[in-house]
Amino acid sequence: MNEMMARILSMGVSGVNGFPVHVEVFGINGIPGIEIIGLPDASVRESRDRVHAAIINSGRSMQPRRITVNLAPADLKKEGPAFDLPIAVGILIAMKELIPSENFQQENTVLFGELSLDGRIRHVSGALPMVISAKENGIQNVILPSSNAQEVSCIEGIRVFPVSTLEQVILHAEGKEMIEPQEQTTYQELRREHPSTVDMSQIHGQKGARRALEVAAAGGHNMLMIGVPGSGKTMLARCLPGILPPMSFEEALETTRIHSICGKLPAGSGLMVSRPFSAPHHSASVAALIGGGQNARPGEVSLAHNGVLFLDELPEFSRSALEALRQPLEDGIVSVSRIRHQAQYQSSFMLIAAMNPCPCGYYGSSNHPCRCTPQEIRRYLDKVSGPLLDRIDLQIEVDAVPVQEINDSEPAESSACVAERVARAREIQQERYRGTSCFCNAQLDNESIRKTCGMTKEASALLNAAVEAMKMSMRAYNRILKVARTIADLDRSEPITSAHIAEAVQYRELDQKYWR
Amino acid sequence: MNRIPEKQICEAWLACAELPSEVLRALLQLYDGARGIYDRIMFQKDSLADFLSAAQIQLLLAAGSQSRLDRMAKLLNEHHIHTLCILDDDYPDSLRDILDPPGILFWTGNLACLQQPRRLAMVGSRSASYAGLKATERIAKELSRKSVVIISGLAYGVDTESHRGCIEGGSPTVAVLGCGLDQTYPEKNLELKNSILQHGGLLLSEYAPEVRPIGYHFPYRNRIISGLGCAVVLMEARIRSGSLTTVDHALRQGKEVFAYPGDPTAACSDGNRSLLRDGARFFTTAQDILSDMNWLDNLPHVGQNSDCSVKSIPENGAETAVYKALENGTLSFEQILAVTGLSSAELSGILTIMQIKKMIDPLPGKKYQLTH
Repeated sequence: MNEMMARILSMGVSGVNGFPVHVEVFGINGIPGIEIIGLPDASVRESRDRVHAAIINSGRSMQPRRITVNLAPADLKKEGPAFDLPIAVGILIAMKELIPSENFQQENTVLFGELSLDGRIRHVSGALPMVISAKENGIQNVILPSSNAQEVSCIEGIRVFPVSTLEQVILHAEGKEMIEPQEQTTYQELRREHPSTVDMSQIHGQKGARRALEVAAAGGHNMLMIGVPGSGKTMLARCLPGILPPMSFEEALETTRIHSICGKLPAGSGLMVSRPFSAPHHSASVAALIGGGQNARPGEVSLAHNGVLFLDELPEFSRSALEALRQPLEDGIVSVSRIRHQAQYQSSFMLIAAMNPCPCGYYGSSNHPCRCTPQEIRRYLDKVSGPLLDRIDLQIEVDAVPVQEINDSEPAESSACVAERVARAREIQQERYRGTSCFCNAQLDNESIRKTCGMTKEASALLNAAVEAMKMSMRAYNRILKVARTIADLDRSEPITSAHIAEAVQYRELDQKYWR
Repeated sequence: MNRIPEKQICEAWLACAELPSEVLRALLQLYDGARGIYDRIMFQKDSLADFLSAAQIQLLLAAGSQSRLDRMAKLLNEHHIHTLCILDDDYPDSLRDILDPPGILFWTGNLACLQQPRRLAMVGSRSASYAGLKATERIAKELSRKSVVIISGLAYGVDTESHRGCIEGGSPTVAVLGCGLDQTYPEKNLELKNSILQHGGLLLSEYAPEVRPIGYHFPYRNRIISGLGCAVVLMEARIRSGSLTTVDHALRQGKEVFAYPGDPTAACSDGNRSLLRDGARFFTTAQDILSDMNWLDNLPHVGQNSDCSVKSIPENGAETAVYKALENGTLSFEQILAVTGLSSAELSGILTIMQIKKMIDPLPGKKYQLTH
């Protein structure tokens, strides 16, 4: 019998989910070569050259055989270089260059990893969803690149063998030199001090904006900041992930999964413990924001899942891109459909948008004349009116801080202090919304606003007076109530008082000034 | 069988040629109105070569055809546009006296509001500062409450706020356009145009229907705005602003000019300050104008709340602190925080309440000022 056969388990990724792939290797006498079938894409097909070189550079020989590699199930598209390792091991076993020992449970071990020509094993994207799926399929062992090991170290109930060369894998399979399975870390351990990049204490002045940011974080409200260039809008937005409550393990898994399949996790990094902050440029296309491309990849809204999506220069985004944000803002999920792929990605994020008050940026600035005509200003502002604004609860103005104030001011409160108050307010909300579909004030619909936003008599009178005096719409009325609910929660007060309403009214700047 | 069309149609026809207004006035005098001129040109085939160029007579001949006249009649009818000739008795006297009065005027709305003895032209930049706009609206409203008719040009910025403030104060307002009355320029002000008419105001133009808003119409039209007012109030203008042409007209017409000082450091009102240096009347409130114009006694007024706005006073310690801080001028949110020592949550609340009480105005850039 000259025919040789081997079957190795591996994993592929579709959407955010992994699926098992059986790598079948069949060798026979004939013209030497490797043929890969089972809907491989270009990077999978190229793997035959990498595998060939890696096998030889790992000290094994490659017999001149006709080898067919089948990736089953054959009707799902396979992509990426992660199949290099299982193909190489499959070929070695099929050609009897590697005789697996008893301890190497071939049927119960998943392998994946990219091979370099010299036999080293490189980082792959999507390790986390693959390992999660392997576990769900009852598999107990995973052999993966050592640079991916941290990423999956929190997954319980599966043994992870990090490897860095093909030779290690061969020796391990032969039982000659066993690799130690990686020790598990708990999520709590992983979540040790992870300082966010910008701390609130670095922001000078801006007491009004800081407070608004705190309110936004406490209620999960979307926020729009308007201000002259250099007033610190971007810096404020960057502080937000640091004052939001820490991610739960499930949230961290969801977020890391999406980053993992996009290859956005740097090699050697573990589960994402701090909330993501995604800031696409305003030239971003719909596909870049929402997801798409040939393989229906996740877009920026999904990379911001459980975190913050920051859109700077909001009116400069194309109208279609802004319109496309409506579904994720509403449902927290996006469906991306392409000819070959269909995927749903989670995308519940806090939207923080920033814009200038006018095209030149200096309308209302005290030390810079504005050169825009009223028509230009109106046209600029009109670009973001309507349904998108409808989903933004807080609209605040941010003024530039004078230089001497930056030097004089004493250090401001740190993110940690603010985060503590935010976390308390969130707890109150969780308690209140237990058993319902929403978990923070921002998600209240008109019906539940009436149920949960009980006001004192004075508060209700004040709100009516404000809406009347400032000629606000019904839409603004509900937004103010929602924000006032959050302010009351920060204050740990059950009824909404007039002080809460009065403060909330100040976060509707646009209704008062520009949009008229 | 050839009948001369009725007076309104003839006047509209004559206006189509956009003749220089001295020629137009001379012709009207000579032939005793537009019908006479029509008769002369269309029936007696007189080319009036002493007055008109070949091109002008061609224009008039073409516009005099029956189909064109029918069309004009339809337009006048549709938009309720009427005409006035300088020979008419109800031609506004204030215009008759100016240097270069329009020979023919188109109007729609309530012509009687020009009879009101208290009339002010309010002008200023189309891209005025937010503070300037707020001040315009406030002063127009207070003047309007004192039965002053505000005349302006329906442009963006100061013009819009003047009309709006006047309507809110209850008096009718007059807009003088630089295009045919069937057109709206700028288009976004259609709503304002309708609201002027709804509130008993008047639209005026010396241009026939279908005449487009062309750049040079506007400075020329400004002589009508200043002519109709007893005085001109300049709210905000840069040194080279077009609004200053209205002031020039006013000076030539021998009218008083009021100039609002604006923020002394802001470039957007340097035109005002240069006028003030040259001797324009200084004012910061409607009261200043009323007393300078000797209009302090109350006229019977049809508007709703006839007494001047009741000014609220601060009611508690925090409000007083904010009020005191703002007494020295515009401050930003952060500056008020620094002066008063309040927390930003507290200050937000106080500002809302003071806004509702109309004690302060919010300005762009998160700044606040006291209402005057």
